Amino acid sequence: MTYVIGKECIDAKDRSCVDVCPVDCIYDGKRKNYINPAECIDCGECEVACPELAIFPLRRAKGNLEREQFAADNAAFFRESLPSRDQPLGDPGGASTAGPLGADTSFVQSFPS
Amino acid sequence: MPELLPQRDLVVVGAGPVGLFATYYAGFRGLDVALVDAQSGPGGQITALYPGKLIHDVPGFPAVTGADLVAGLVTQAEEYSPAVLYDTEVLGIHACGGVIEVTMSGDRVLRTGTVLLATGVGGIRPRPLPFGGEWYGRGLSYVVSDNEEHRGHNVVVVGGGDSALDWALQLRPVASSVTIVHRRRAFRAQRSLLERASREGIRILTEAEVVAISGNERVREITVLASDGSIEVMPAETVIGALGMRSSPTPLIAWGIEVDHRRAIVDSHMQTAVPGIFAAGDGATYPGKVALIVAGFGEAATAVNNVAVYLDPEAELMPGHSTDPELTPPDHAPRGGA
Repeated sequence: MTYVIGKECIDAKDRSCVDVCPVDCIYDGKRKNYINPAECIDCGECEVACPELAIFPLRRAKGNLEREQFAADNAAFFRESLPSRDQPLGDPGGASTAGPLGADTSFVQSFPS
Repeated sequence: MPELLPQRDLVVVGAGPVGLFATYYAGFRGLDVALVDAQSGPGGQITALYPGKLIHDVPGFPAVTGADLVAGLVTQAEEYSPAVLYDTEVLGIHACGGVIEVTMSGDRVLRTGTVLLATGVGGIRPRPLPFGGEWYGRGLSYVVSDNEEHRGHNVVVVGGGDSALDWALQLRPVASSVTIVHRRRAFRAQRSLLERASREGIRILTEAEVVAISGNERVREITVLASDGSIEVMPAETVIGALGMRSSPTPLIAWGIEVDHRRAIVDSHMQTAVPGIFAAGDGATYPGKVALIVAGFGEAATAVNNVAVYLDPEAELMPGHSTDPELTPPDHAPRGGA
C-alpha cells in the first residue's frame, strides 16, 4: 500500500509533504511531486501535511477514475523514461540524493497550466 | 576497555514488530536472546510514526491500533525473559571464527552465535534542524526527558505538528516563556492543542524560520526571520527541534552484508551472505518479497527456527507446536522472570 499525490499538487508544489516524509520518498518533478510507491512505508504523515489536500492513500483511489490515473502516474514516474532522460528513475532510495528532476510524466504535462 | 556483556545464542537488532516477535520465538525455541534497539522503547516504526493508526491486516485482529499491537508483542516477547537493551545503537557486527561480535554504543560488546537483523527501514530519529547542530546537548535538544532541566528558561520549539505543541504545553508550567516557531501558516497539530497553547500564553510565530542560534557555552538567543523579511532576536536557553522523524539506513554494507535497494538479501532460511547473520521484515529482501508486518512475522519464525539449527545442527527445524502442553521450555527458560 502507498500514498499518492493527485492533481491539486500540479503547479502548487507546496512541498510540506517532503518536509515530513520520514523515508524521503517524495520526488521533485517540474510541476508536481511524486511518491515512489516502492519506497513509501504508508505512514500517512504526508496526507495530513499537505495544504492542498492533494494526497490520498491508494485504497481510496478505487472507483475514482482521476485518482486511479494519478496512482498509476505516480508509479509511471519511476518506471518509465521521463522526457530528457534515457533511463527510468527506478528506486533511487532518497529524493534528496536524486535532487530536483526538472521533468514530469506526459500525463501531468498534458494538464493546462 | 569496552564492557563485555554475557554471550548469547542470538542477538535481535531492532525492537519493531518483527524483532519483538522473533524475540518471543527465540525464547520459545530455548535460545538465550538479547534484543537491542536504538530507540528508548519498543515498537520501531509503529511507535515512532503511527501508534494511533488502525492496522487492518494482522491475522486475528480485524482492526488493532499500532500501540495495542506493540503492547501485545511486548508481553509475548517478555515471556522468556530476554535481555532487552534500549537506547543502544549497534555500531558494528563482525563475524570471526563462529562467534559474532556486536559492538554497541556505550562502549559495550556482545558476543553471540547468531544475529537477526530486524532493522526495518533503518534507525528512526528526530529530524535534525537544518543548522545549529553544534548546539546539540548545549541547549538544543529533540526530546524533553526532564522538565526540570528547562525551569526558568525561555523555550523555543521549532515545528508545527502535534509533538511541537506537546513539548510546548509540557514545558509551559516550568518555563519562563514558550514560543513556537513554525515555517508555515497552517499547523498539522490538532486544533484543540493549538487553542490550549494560545490560552496558556504560548507565543506562536507562523511563516517564520529560526535562521541562527547563538550563545557562549550554551544557547543564549535565536534569530527568527519572518515572511515579511523582518528579523527578531529573542532570548532562548532551550531550543527544541520538533520537525518529525527521519529514517537513516542501516549500515548493512559496512557489516559485509549483500544488499538490494538497501535491504539485506536473504536465502530461504532468511540467512544473509554472512553465515550466522539472518534478516527478517522490511529490512530483508528476496524474490517475491512483500514488505508487510504479517509477512515479517512469518519471516521471523522461519529465521529463528533456522537459527536454532544453525547453532545446533542436531536440532529439529520444526519446533513443535506452541499449543502442545507437553512441550516444556528448556531448562534455562524462562530465566530470571520472578
